[in-house]
Amino acid sequence: MQMKRRKLIALEVVMVFIAVLFLFPILIMLLNSFKTFGEVMSDVLALPQKLQFSNYSYVWNYLNYPRLFLNNTIITILGVSGIILFGSMAAYKLSRTKTRWSGIIYFFCIVPMLIPFQSIMIAVLKLAKEFHLSESTWGLGIQYWGFGIPLAVFIYHGFMKSIPREIDESAMIDGASGLYLFYKIIFPLLRPVTATIVILDVMWIWNDFLLPLIMVNGSESTRTLTLASYIFVGQYTTDWQYTMTAMVMAVFPSIVVFILLQKHIVKGVAAGAVKG
Amino acid sequence: MKRIGKKTIDRKDFVLFTLPAMLCVLFAFFIPFFMSMRYSFTEWNGIQKRPSFIGLENFINIFTNDTAFIESALFTLKYSILFIVLVNVIAIILAIILDQKLRTSTLLRTVFFIPYIISLIVVGFIWKFLLSQGFNSLSAITGLSVFDLSWLGEPRLAFISIVVVSIWQSIGFYIVIYIAGLQSIPSELLEASTIDGAGPFQKFFHITLPLLAPAVTISVFMALTNSLKVFDIILSLTAGGPGGSTYSITLDIYRDTFQNNMYGYGTAKALILFIAVLLITFIQLKYSKSKEVEA
Repeated sequence: MQMKRRKLIALEVVMVFIAVLFLFPILIMLLNSFKTFGEVMSDVLALPQKLQFSNYSYVWNYLNYPRLFLNNTIITILGVSGIILFGSMAAYKLSRTKTRWSGIIYFFCIVPMLIPFQSIMIAVLKLAKEFHLSESTWGLGIQYWGFGIPLAVFIYHGFMKSIPREIDESAMIDGASGLYLFYKIIFPLLRPVTATIVILDVMWIWNDFLLPLIMVNGSESTRTLTLASYIFVGQYTTDWQYTMTAMVMAVFPSIVVFILLQKHIVKGVAAGAVKG
Repeated sequence: MKRIGKKTIDRKDFVLFTLPAMLCVLFAFFIPFFMSMRYSFTEWNGIQKRPSFIGLENFINIFTNDTAFIESALFTLKYSILFIVLVNVIAIILAIILDQKLRTSTLLRTVFFIPYIISLIVVGFIWKFLLSQGFNSLSAITGLSVFDLSWLGEPRLAFISIVVVSIWQSIGFYIVIYIAGLQSIPSELLEASTIDGAGPFQKFFHITLPLLAPAVTISVFMALTNSLKVFDIILSLTAGGPGGSTYSITLDIYRDTFQNNMYGYGTAKALILFIAVLLITFIQLKYSKSKEVEA
């Protein structure tokens, strides 16, 4: 037993060491975002003489950070709410109706999960232009509905069986029907799955790159956080102190949210993968 | 009379509930998909109003005289195989360690998960900085020659860098899946085998691994679909260089369509990618489902 304990402690020490090494790139990014250009060039690993907060104010103003943050928030909220709203409704009706049509429509809704976005992106761009959904944050948010619904329908559909039909029936006797019945009575019962889907979709949409790149890259006022940091690095290739500052600012919101909600996020991602 | 009334209400409800989702999917996937099929038989620079029909010419060109495409396909294949194998093996090892009664297990799991929440573009840039600037300082301090190598400037090393960075970014996700899988294995089975005198390796290969098969199926599937479509991380880490040696298929499609303005040609490649992804994932799922056992 003693031997086993000692082995476990040794293992623990090794793992903590690996974890610190693992975080090394993130620490380096943080460290160098506070340095002057000269300090970055002379030694990446050294501590800064004085914390250069001016890097942050420079990048903040240059990128118009509040604008980017607002864009990301609009796109993510609009996208995720549509996916949840339409996805849950459809999955509910499709799992409660047992006809040939409901089977066909279910298949129709989930089969796009097999289509890689890159395979259709050119046509997606062309179509978005026709509908005036490109070059606009709202338009981009709306486009995520279609791209997110397949997975949402799939996960909701799998969960719906665990909600007894008697609940629908007793609500109907009380006179509730249609959308009212669904949103007042069924939707609240779906909370754990809704949380999973929200977590997966927020992570995806907030960090997404290729769709924003082809849709909203034309004007500075519509860019997203990831997109703007990509373009910023393109313009400041050698000013590493600024690019690292921009990277810190790009990941800062995600890290804060992750620290606050880490248990739910890890659980949600695992649940999504197992069901998906 | 009453019956018919209820039926029409049901039908109206059915349409009301499913139509929004169907319309979204129709416009996001099906219409673009059929448009893509049509474009793939045309020559089109994206600006002309009407693409001109050229039959199978795009496909013939892709397979007969497009070395860039063949090279990017080989690159993607090599990358995918290496990534899938390494990420799963490392994740299983780390998951088994974290599944022991370590005091810091939860904290460590969180640490490994952090890069997964960062956008791939940013991950690429952080590593580009570390590999190009940070390694100079590391070499000066440690004197180790690994840090002197040109990790982004030499084709073979750049390839390794891309694989390593991809693993670093996503390992936390796979660890979480495997931990969930390990926790669903009944501990009585492992205890019984210990009594029967099985060593740790026997236990792993004869009990843990077979019962972990569903988790392996999911993980390999996720790793496969993600690696075949690898794009962001390469774009920010090497941008396809050095000398075009790290172009993946998706990067090659992107270059042809948006940089060379060959929309019809790019779409044809994109359709080939779709069929390849479909076939490969189908084979993988068939194969791994057949390997799963019940506890």
